[in-house]
Amino acid sequence: MSLSTKDTYVKHSPGKLFLFFAILLSLLGAEDFSFSTHVDVPDPYVKEAVLLSVDLNQTNHDIVLLFNFDLKPSPDYTFQRIDSKETDSYHNAKVHYLYLVYPLKSGDVKIGFDLVKRVTNDESVAYSFSGDRDNVKGLVTQNTTVALPPVILHVKPLPKGTQLVGDFKLNYEIKQTKAKAYEPIPFEVTISGRGYLPLLKNLIPKSDAFTLFSEKPIIHTSHSKEGLQSRVIYPMALSAKENFELPAIKINAFDPKKERSYTLEILTTRFQIEKADVNTLVDKVDNPAPYRTDWSWLTTLLGYLVVFGAGFASGWLFKWHKKQRHDLQHPLIEKIDACKEKKTLLQLLLAHDAVTFAPVIRKLEADLYGKRSTTLKSLKQEAKEQLHAN
Amino acid sequence: MQTKITRLKEELKKAVVGQEAMIEGLLIGLLSDGHILIEGVPGLAKTTTINALAKALGLDFKRIQFTPDLLPSDIIGAQIYNPQDHSFSIKKGPLFTHLLLADEINRAPAKVQSALLEVMQERQVTIADETFHLEKPFLVMATQNPIEQEGVYALPEAQLDRFMMKLVVTHNSEEEELEIMRKGATKRFAKVEKVLEIEELFALQDALEKMHIDPELETYIVQLVSATREPERFGLAGIADDIMYGVSPRASIDLYKAAHAKAFLRGNDFVTPADIGMVIHDVLRHRIVLSYEARAKGMKSDEIITKIVETVPIP
Repeated sequence: MSLSTKDTYVKHSPGKLFLFFAILLSLLGAEDFSFSTHVDVPDPYVKEAVLLSVDLNQTNHDIVLLFNFDLKPSPDYTFQRIDSKETDSYHNAKVHYLYLVYPLKSGDVKIGFDLVKRVTNDESVAYSFSGDRDNVKGLVTQNTTVALPPVILHVKPLPKGTQLVGDFKLNYEIKQTKAKAYEPIPFEVTISGRGYLPLLKNLIPKSDAFTLFSEKPIIHTSHSKEGLQSRVIYPMALSAKENFELPAIKINAFDPKKERSYTLEILTTRFQIEKADVNTLVDKVDNPAPYRTDWSWLTTLLGYLVVFGAGFASGWLFKWHKKQRHDLQHPLIEKIDACKEKKTLLQLLLAHDAVTFAPVIRKLEADLYGKRSTTLKSLKQEAKEQLHAN
Repeated sequence: MQTKITRLKEELKKAVVGQEAMIEGLLIGLLSDGHILIEGVPGLAKTTTINALAKALGLDFKRIQFTPDLLPSDIIGAQIYNPQDHSFSIKKGPLFTHLLLADEINRAPAKVQSALLEVMQERQVTIADETFHLEKPFLVMATQNPIEQEGVYALPEAQLDRFMMKLVVTHNSEEEELEIMRKGATKRFAKVEKVLEIEELFALQDALEKMHIDPELETYIVQLVSATREPERFGLAGIADDIMYGVSPRASIDLYKAAHAKAFLRGNDFVTPADIGMVIHDVLRHRIVLSYEARAKGMKSDEIITKIVETVPIP
């Protein structure tokens, strides 16, 4: 829709682009190979792309040499391997790696290397090839970790307030400036160009005048020797209940190639919002006060108490019912109740369990054949109690 | 008299925790001159009980472990040839004792069981041409495994009839077992002392014979025994098909004697129906032969006895 760029030249002295051989060689591998690195910008700015090339060339041709190589990860920089060429000629290995490195802090930044030298011989190679799909034979190598000297970058700080580093353009699109209350207004911002990935956390600042809906940015990137070409799309939407103004947004950027600062800008935009007819709304008050005190917690608590009480009562009832059933089901209870004479009761108790009913039997004996007198009812009750006790 | 029995019981309790029914049964056997058969799993203090009884009475005690390869001569003794003077001498077997524990009697073959049971009945042993009378008292406490176990020879009904009572011993209660465990682990069982002389025991047996029993109760005993033979006559037609053979007259005698002993142990001066009721299961349970149908139904002779006691009216 619109585009605005302001360029500002930085006053510090311009850097020179020249080839620089930082370190040549490391004879740690007993001169089995040579190691060389090259950076296109030895004194870059923070987040400026630096092209780093690494060459590993076999010098001892009596052995079979293989390399496991990569840059050492560090919080001081990020990197991306953009190319690697390996010459697989036997006894003469040559590897060429190309990296894009982005220093993340100013000052001296050491770029380290992880290198494992793998030495083997012709017999091992031949043996490893002798296998087949069902009999895979691994290549036996002698692995040695080789410590390589780091490449040191003298990183220059960015101008204060810089948000993006590189050569970028900003486009934004607002499909409509008139809308109904709370109607979402699509709003899309695209930042594209070459440089460090233009990811911004809060592109549009929050405001009470409108509600901002945002999605995860859509990122398109491609790496090349020239650096990282990217396009980042910020899909968003705005919504408000009345007219509002989106204030101008300025993004400070810095182009290290040209060594100049510039600004990407989103202009002030006014939005006209058609107010909603409150009378036609079901919910007429925004964020209304509670209609009544929320006693739902009490309901929940009472619910739990009822459930607990019901569980307790059911357990008790089950026990009680079991006892009742036990009382009723015991055939002897019925027979005891049916006894109409003390002799019959004595006969019944003797027949069933003279040991359990020994105390009652003793009383019955005293009653029937002695002088003691006890009521039949109490004797029956005692017999039933003894039955329960067992 | 009663004090002596109480002291005897107290002395036995020093060595045996719980198992009161077994002790009571053993005392009934001792007082009534009857033998006791005990059915139960091993480890229920059977040996301990009879050993303690022997010590408390100052009597001899021997134990025979019945095995399938046991011979009659192993228990009754044998005539042994002496090559030095070319003569024969008698070697008495372990039967020659006062109290005998015949452990796992149903593991021995029938001929050994018969040899023992004959001695139990006759109380005399014949070795070669010489007959020996056993000293009084002579009490056999035989144990047998539950018949369902393997490797056992069931005792024939005729032999079972020689036992006055058959006691079914069960495990102790948890409280009793706790006490057994504590005492057994720390060897805190007190030593059993002699509390009764043989003469005193004989006096007790004599007193028992003189104990009063009402003729109605004697009839009651006969009726109970008859009910096992002719249940229909006592309104027990429902169990008639469950009984193959009722009990023998020996059962009447043993029930009569056991009821006397029970009354005495309970501290009574006369026999009551309760005394009969308290021993009838132990006296009759091994004598009633159940029919095939009853065994197929899983019935026990105790159920028959319960129905009989429940039905035959007490005086």
